[in-house]
Amino acid sequence: MAEILGCSALRVELGARRGLLRHRAGVRAVDGVDLSIAEGETFGIVGESGCGKTTLARALLGLQRESAGEIRLEGRRVSGLDPRAARRVREAVQYVHQDPGAALDPWWRVGATLAEGLAIHGVTARAEQQARIAETLAAVGLDPALADRYPHELSGGQQRRIGLARILLLRPKVVILDEPTAGLDLSVQAAVLRLLRDLRARFGLTYVFISHDLSVVRRVCDRVAVMYLGQVVEEGTAAALFAAPRHPYTRALLAAAPHLDGRESGPSLPGDPPSLAAVPPGCRFHPRCAEAREPCAHTVPVREAAGPDHAVACLRWREVA
Amino acid sequence: MSVPVLEVRGLGVRLRTEAGLADILDDVALTVPRGGTVGVVGESGCGKSTLLRAILGILPRGAEPPRGAILFEGRDILADGAASARGRIGFVPQDPYLSLNPVFRAGDQILEIMRRHAKGPRAGHRARILDLFRAVQLPDPEAALRKYPHQFSGGQRQRLLIAAALACEPSLVVADEPTTALDVTTQREILALLRGLVAERGLSLLFVTHDFGVLANVCEEVAVLYAGRVIEAGPTREVLDAPRHPYTRMLLACHPDRATDLLGIPGTVPAATAQPSGCRFHPRCPIIRSGCPVEPPALVTLPDGHRVACPWHADPLPEVADG
Repeated sequence: MAEILGCSALRVELGARRGLLRHRAGVRAVDGVDLSIAEGETFGIVGESGCGKTTLARALLGLQRESAGEIRLEGRRVSGLDPRAARRVREAVQYVHQDPGAALDPWWRVGATLAEGLAIHGVTARAEQQARIAETLAAVGLDPALADRYPHELSGGQQRRIGLARILLLRPKVVILDEPTAGLDLSVQAAVLRLLRDLRARFGLTYVFISHDLSVVRRVCDRVAVMYLGQVVEEGTAAALFAAPRHPYTRALLAAAPHLDGRESGPSLPGDPPSLAAVPPGCRFHPRCAEAREPCAHTVPVREAAGPDHAVACLRWREVA
Repeated sequence: MSVPVLEVRGLGVRLRTEAGLADILDDVALTVPRGGTVGVVGESGCGKSTLLRAILGILPRGAEPPRGAILFEGRDILADGAASARGRIGFVPQDPYLSLNPVFRAGDQILEIMRRHAKGPRAGHRARILDLFRAVQLPDPEAALRKYPHQFSGGQRQRLLIAAALACEPSLVVADEPTTALDVTTQREILALLRGLVAERGLSLLFVTHDFGVLANVCEEVAVLYAGRVIEAGPTREVLDAPRHPYTRMLLACHPDRATDLLGIPGTVPAATAQPSGCRFHPRCPIIRSGCPVEPPALVTLPDGHRVACPWHADPLPEVADG
């Protein structure tokens, strides 16, 4: 399938200051990421808090300026632009906020919030706005009359749906979903995931699905990238990655997820991820890795193919497997 | 058999709200045996947190005096003058980021709890705090005493809160979704720590969660709450492997580990101000029929020790067409 969104050697530095006299180095929240997301797929990005998932999403979206590397959208290079231009060329990429309730203005009726997005994107005729809002609310399974409500009158599941409706109105091609099921109850989560799947088919969408819930990622994603300290350590089809994880970090992450049968699989991962301000030399994961050997402390692993559409960045993946 | 650490009998909690009288808990019964681990599971708004608040004696303003009884160590803590008996219940809150005071050092926050609860000379407190920090496996306990909460990671803060819960030398620890705010890797460590502490110190644990995976990992027994009533209870493995109540069956079928398709449950949890009559699940139930009881059905004990509040627990659920 053709690539719709991708990046090469993408680096994002946060917190850097370049004053006249003083320079302060930032931290590399994203450091050398290559991705290629195919049209129509659901691409999962997983990792612990602080691994750079959200920063990567913001860079793809054009909200966070990249420091180096290239971002491609529908075959065109869209990186290296000033912030306004960066966002404008990426109209086809939209973002659903992690907490859609917080992203709604409590003083505005939901309909007004939805209309504002349309107005910003050039749909100013009131009648057309109303028609598109009603149509989109119906598409996300809500009663169009809900447009007259205020955000606090909606349930968590309804707010999620409004969050989705808000970006679907803009007819995006790629939707970045940031923890779309965080804080939802099981029964509501199932309904939201089903809705996402139906909308993808109906509107021909491509999803970038950021989540730390591995059960959900396994369920809905076609391909998955695992991030650790700003880098992708393993990438592959969800089927391959979950059936035969190659990177010790991926294994530990999968083992940590609680299962209904109560089983504990594999060793646990001690400690917290180190800070981006003090990235370990060599393989970034080696201080926490049970499989680490002497070379891991100074040799940076490169990405190797571990199977069809499966890549891993670990010096010892062959021995570990 | 010894007296259970905690026995909740016929607990009812109602709250006066602007929208009317909210019926939050109704006829809830629950037993935590000595050394046992009991989970309370349910979706938002089912009354999980109110149950904990009733046990801890911190019901919100506007709550009517609870009905029923809560026996802790055999003594009814809802009765007049018995509130101090709650001193030996430790509490682990949900959010490690919000539950510590940012302007006090970690050691001082634990010390404050000890001063309130513990007998004995003050000089011993410092040594006991260090013991607690070691027990919860905080790195470098001496230095941790003098650190402020922001100097700890999320997982370490949760360890600190567990130490705080242990500071009153509790026989019962109640935990309110203690790992919801944590990464899965950290969650696994905290759950292992809790299990270890329960085993080593002979604690009993009442664990509230909405995550069935976590429940399977920690609790021997479980009670499933729906709309303020216990609708199913029993050994965790029994309930997870062979759920009987239509609600539990449908909810577990939503779990991504198990779902054949992502169906959800039609409808929503009723508002506490407008609880349905009879079985509270009936408006959403796929096997509702004319023989359903007019009164809320009571828990019936099955031969395998499993308790369920539905007369049709043996009937299959209808197949739902994918569409």
